[in-house]
Amino acid sequence: MTIMEPRKHGDASDGMIGGRQSRFEGSLKVTGAATYALEYPAENLAHAILVQATIPAGKVVSVDKAAALAAPGVLMILTPEDDFGMTVATDWGGNRPDNQPYYPLPRDVKYNGEPIVAVVAESREQAFEAAKLICIRYEAAPHVASIADPKAGEGQVMDNLTTKWGDAEAAFAAAPVKIEGEYRTPREYHVAMEPHGLTAKWDGNELTIWEPSQWSHGMARTYSEWFNIPYEDVRLISPFIGGGFGSKGGALAHGAVAAFASRKLGRPIRLALTRPQNFTNYGGRAATYQSIKLGATEDGILQSIIHRGASETSTYATWPEQTGAATPILYKVENFSSQHRVVPVNSVTPGALRGPGKNPSSFGIESAMEELAYKLNMDPLDIRLKNYNDFDRQSNKPWSTRRLREALTEGAEAFGWSKRSHAPRSMREGKTLIGWGIGCGTFPVIQAPSEAMIRILGNGRVEVVSGAIDMGQGTYTILAQTAADVFGIPVDQVEVHLGDSRLPGAAIAGGSMLAGSILGAVHKAATAARDELIGLALSDAKSPLRDTGANTLAFAGGRITPPRGEGPSLTLPELMAALGREQLETTRNTLPDGASAEEQRQAWTTMAKVQGPTMGEFSMHSWCAHFAEVRVDEDFGTVRVSRMVSAFDCGRLYNPRLVESQWRGGIIMGIGQALLEEGLVDLRNGRTVNGNAGDYLVPTNSDIPDIQTISVGVPDYNASALGGKGVGEVGIVGVAASIANAVYHATGKRVRDLPITLEKLI
Amino acid sequence: MTRTIHLSLDINGERRELDVEPRVTLLDALRDHLALTGTKKGCDQGQCGACTCHVDDKRVLSCLTLAAQVEGRQVTTIEGLADENGVLHAVQSAFIEHDAFQCGYCTPGQIMSAVACIREGHAGSDAEIREYMSGNLCRCGAYNNIVVAVREAAKAVSAPARMVEVA
Repeated sequence: MTIMEPRKHGDASDGMIGGRQSRFEGSLKVTGAATYALEYPAENLAHAILVQATIPAGKVVSVDKAAALAAPGVLMILTPEDDFGMTVATDWGGNRPDNQPYYPLPRDVKYNGEPIVAVVAESREQAFEAAKLICIRYEAAPHVASIADPKAGEGQVMDNLTTKWGDAEAAFAAAPVKIEGEYRTPREYHVAMEPHGLTAKWDGNELTIWEPSQWSHGMARTYSEWFNIPYEDVRLISPFIGGGFGSKGGALAHGAVAAFASRKLGRPIRLALTRPQNFTNYGGRAATYQSIKLGATEDGILQSIIHRGASETSTYATWPEQTGAATPILYKVENFSSQHRVVPVNSVTPGALRGPGKNPSSFGIESAMEELAYKLNMDPLDIRLKNYNDFDRQSNKPWSTRRLREALTEGAEAFGWSKRSHAPRSMREGKTLIGWGIGCGTFPVIQAPSEAMIRILGNGRVEVVSGAIDMGQGTYTILAQTAADVFGIPVDQVEVHLGDSRLPGAAIAGGSMLAGSILGAVHKAATAARDELIGLALSDAKSPLRDTGANTLAFAGGRITPPRGEGPSLTLPELMAALGREQLETTRNTLPDGASAEEQRQAWTTMAKVQGPTMGEFSMHSWCAHFAEVRVDEDFGTVRVSRMVSAFDCGRLYNPRLVESQWRGGIIMGIGQALLEEGLVDLRNGRTVNGNAGDYLVPTNSDIPDIQTISVGVPDYNASALGGKGVGEVGIVGVAASIANAVYHATGKRVRDLPITLEKLI
Repeated sequence: MTRTIHLSLDINGERRELDVEPRVTLLDALRDHLALTGTKKGCDQGQCGACTCHVDDKRVLSCLTLAAQVEGRQVTTIEGLADENGVLHAVQSAFIEHDAFQCGYCTPGQIMSAVACIREGHAGSDAEIREYMSGNLCRCGAYNNIVVAVREAAKAVSAPARMVEVA
């Protein structure tokens, strides 16, 4: 067997905030020892599976379950006939109807694929076999299959998403140069590698849930409300999450079914969604369309933007995919009008998927800007710099930090943009057409209060304890770095405990808000713990540091010393031993002082205390500029992305190594969105046609070129306590436009509906 | 009750006895019956590669392999890759060093594929690595770093024949 020593990082600064520390939990993940939700053993486990509706709308008339009940191993079958005794929980907006019964297996069918029956058996194989014997009779009702269904109509205007200033119509009419286009994006899916699923177990009236979660506290609240049990009686455990991308932020119907079945049967239940069910049982990104009109002067100064957009939602909830989210803030324009509609269709309610709103929005405006550039015979880089937005006209507030100009110029430099030949179809190698395009992106800075505990142990180890989530963004690592930094100790002297609703509360790992929010709490708690330790060291009669005359102590290189180096120098365990302390525990949160217990719980289990990007005196956002090179086979219309350079302003980076990985991940998902990903719906029956990992195409390794990322950000202390802005969402925003623009440059064909597949080019 | 069969499997050099239904896959046998949960279930349909294991040193999709099919053959999972002292395999170290994963869920499958890819002699260039690692999806998008990790691990494993000893 060949062995290679794990390489050590020589530079101690790797372990500090801003260092390139390798992934803290890395060895667990490469050895298979990291334990995901469905991997916790449970005694006497039974397995549940779901049977889904095969009609898009109507009623369940009857469920014949006799044959299935008689099948080997079957323990229980749940149908719409069962009285679940559950109540509807609080929704994303914080609203909860009074005492409204909740039926996770409903009689009214709202979309094709909706779960309506659950089969519980000794083994998963037996449950699947028995499910085939169930006979469901329906009474079908008329349906709207998708936004493309002629019956869908125009939908309803969302007043809160309507924005205007100046007189966009008049300015457009008067503009000497005009362009107009309609841009479409299809349904897109998360396809996290770990499918959804859970194990639920009751001990008396207490419920334990092992389930992948981007928000352990929020989901625990939902379970407690469903079953009308105290919040403290639910424990949701989720230390490792196999990708979420927005899909694992809330508890879903299948979770309710598993928890209910477990209580009714008196045994732990495991319910794992199949891969196809991961396309039907929760929503991906809604399909969208938007029309954009741009008016400009002859020299390329924007005069007017008129935007009208729409997105699919379900018939039972409103989820807008905000096509106008990026449109008002990317460019300087004195006349602006934007409106967004939602179109109800018979699908599961769509959800948040990486860069919600901003992503399709930027596909529209960033495509349109290049269309304008070509109409003006202007360099697409120049038109962006020429219309650089000096302040946020939507909120009428200054930017906190906005280094999009640097992103554009430094990205262009690294890409070699100056070597571009302007005319479409003017760059080629033999039969391969080459094209270059730009796409800018943005995502708001969102913050939420969080709490963290620091525990200093007698052996000198420092524990960081938080209910926050690490789904691959690097929470373990940056929390360890923060504690190591504050205590001047190596990262391997730190332990991090995450992903448990019983631990101190944290913001959701979504909306790019976790890192900034939780680091504020961890830094505050660690600093308070250090101050407490200093106080003890300088005052406790047993402390060798008491009589040094120092009024503070320095923590560096694993040692604690008086600031000028006079007197003794101790390690953390030596000091703890001298003080006779087994442990020192300090908890802090970032709520205003004196927040009540109820306010604290509300802060981490609802969205009530979330701070948007313009709630303070600034408008705060991350920014990026993507530069794409595509190679298009002239005969076959096949598109390959051959090169990407992307420059980002995400403020201070807590760990550049992990940030670069996240940026690349977003860019790669954007390449998939541009060229591959499209959820297809059968208009006859509203069925998701390609709901599996083989037919819904996500990028493979060979689809992806080397991607160069550049950071142009500076610390933004308005955006977060430690100066960072969000990194996870913004990476995907603007990628699809950069590729569509590059395809136009290569081929002279403008594709306004994603994905850009070969039949659209030949 | 459903009929079960008795299997005696050689997994990571250990003999493991189990009674399972004949339709149980190798993947479910590992995860649900043998507590070897390092092998991941991503699709259960042979589309994603997360369940990649080695059978007689060749990479296979354990979700498309019945447990009963591997009797008398040597199965290696991610848990069997490090040596008996816990020293990581070159590919495992390279994945950490080059940040070749984020959420970690596709990682065991990627690593098992990478070990096989190198052993097969398909790590000769970045283009070849990309091609021969394309059966393993990574939705976090660690592909660039996976290519670097496989390239560097291939260099560390200078004599591919020695890799066959892994078990």
